Amino acid sequence: MLTLAQIMAVFLKDVRSELRTRYALNALLMFVVTTVAIILFALRGDQPGSTVLAGMFWVSVFFTAMSGLSRSFVSEEERGTTMTLQLIASSTTVYFGKLLFNAVLTLVLVAGVTVVYLIVFPAFEITGMGVFLLTVFLGSLGLASAATIIAAIIAKAGSRGTLYPVLSFPILIVPLMTVMGATVKSLEGVPFSDATVDFVVLISYFMVMTAGSVLLFDYVWKD
Amino acid sequence: MSAVKYGSIILVSFVIIAGIAIPLVPSPQNWLEFPVIPGLEEKARNIFFHVPTAWTTVLAFLVSMVYGFRYLRTRNPDYDQKSVISAGLGLMFCILATVTGALWAKFNWGSYWNWDPRQTSIFILLLIYGAYFSLRSAIELEEKKAALSAVYAIVAGLTVPFFIFIMPRMMTGLHPGAQGDSSGGGPLFQSGMMAGNMRVLFYVSLLGFNLLYVWLFTLRLRIARIEDRQLLSRHTEQ
Amino acid sequence: MLEFMMENQMYIVLSIVLLVWAGIAVYLVRLDRKVSRLEETMKKES
Repeated sequence: MLTLAQIMAVFLKDVRSELRTRYALNALLMFVVTTVAIILFALRGDQPGSTVLAGMFWVSVFFTAMSGLSRSFVSEEERGTTMTLQLIASSTTVYFGKLLFNAVLTLVLVAGVTVVYLIVFPAFEITGMGVFLLTVFLGSLGLASAATIIAAIIAKAGSRGTLYPVLSFPILIVPLMTVMGATVKSLEGVPFSDATVDFVVLISYFMVMTAGSVLLFDYVWKD
Repeated sequence: MSAVKYGSIILVSFVIIAGIAIPLVPSPQNWLEFPVIPGLEEKARNIFFHVPTAWTTVLAFLVSMVYGFRYLRTRNPDYDQKSVISAGLGLMFCILATVTGALWAKFNWGSYWNWDPRQTSIFILLLIYGAYFSLRSAIELEEKKAALSAVYAIVAGLTVPFFIFIMPRMMTGLHPGAQGDSSGGGPLFQSGMMAGNMRVLFYVSLLGFNLLYVWLFTLRLRIARIEDRQLLSRHTEQ
Repeated sequence: MLEFMMENQMYIVLSIVLLVWAGIAVYLVRLDRKVSRLEETMKKES
């Protein structure tokens, strides 16, 4: 029952409903702008160094992701479409469809944050473009995979406000620390080989998270 | 079972006495003398108490994970109960490990917290326990509470190998065994502590703390069962 | 004995820690016995 076409179907369904309301995209964009604005007010013209910039970059990404990535499951509960989805598609199909949606959303989000940071902070120069792109790509995947399974859990738990970041943060500290370090390296123009250890960690994190989520998703999804 | 109880009391008492009373000597000649480790001196005694609590909290978490997994397979609420009990004990040991670690850090490295990778990892574990209990308190239905918290424990458990083994070795840090540290140790093989008698005492301490954990676990389990039975008999009376 | 303690201050620390630990251990043993007694009572009732 697990075919790429089915996964794409779940994915496209979510994409279409997002495009219809544009809620997630708007909310996320506004969130990014707001956080960057607050940071700018706080800095008052001071130019932060590359370590601080890298950290702030991923802080913005993390909180924006927290405000947006739970949508994929919470909206199903809110609209009452969970049971229909359970009947129509197998658990794994649903999981991969939602994962794909969250991954794409995260990539879009990160692209947005990058653009904003490039404009707003002159010190944010991407010297090592290859390292940066790979870092950002792998980091988004890792973030999305952890965020998806946690979103599924809190959607079934009544999704009370703060539960999502509370559950996600401890799990995301590992990829966040790795990705912040790698981003610093890309801003400073460090050779590619220095960052490979970070990439290995990020890739293995993504694989472990996704594999575990696939095996466990059934217990969350079917109650 | 009484072996566990009295064993833990005896072992921990022994470690306290031996760990604190055995004198530090520049070149130890016999079993009742510890070497002086430059930079640590008397503070080295902390090893017998701080590291075992950290070990025990990880053990408690793993036990909690395993029971959670067994709950998911069998839907037997007994497993969920054991999972929570172990998590509660794990939380206690985690707080102990974090606090003792911070105190030691203040005297050895200058400040209570430095975001050293291993310090960060005990912090992550603390957050995981906090998140686990927050999740449980947010759900009313017993089965859902048990299932979802079991899944979370396992998902969080998947990250444990990352922050316990991989990160602290790859990044520079203050704990022994970090990148650039020649003593090449780790949580398992405290090679900064080459002395045979220290190593033996350390493992004795590990055993003592783990036995203590087992005893506390059984105590809490028995009390929980009595409470359940009381609840049941009160129900059937009505 | 007091002069001995004043000389090797480590033994003051040791006595304090042992005292604390003795308190905890005694508490645990008493709790354990109380639970065993409760279990006996419950068994008799059923």
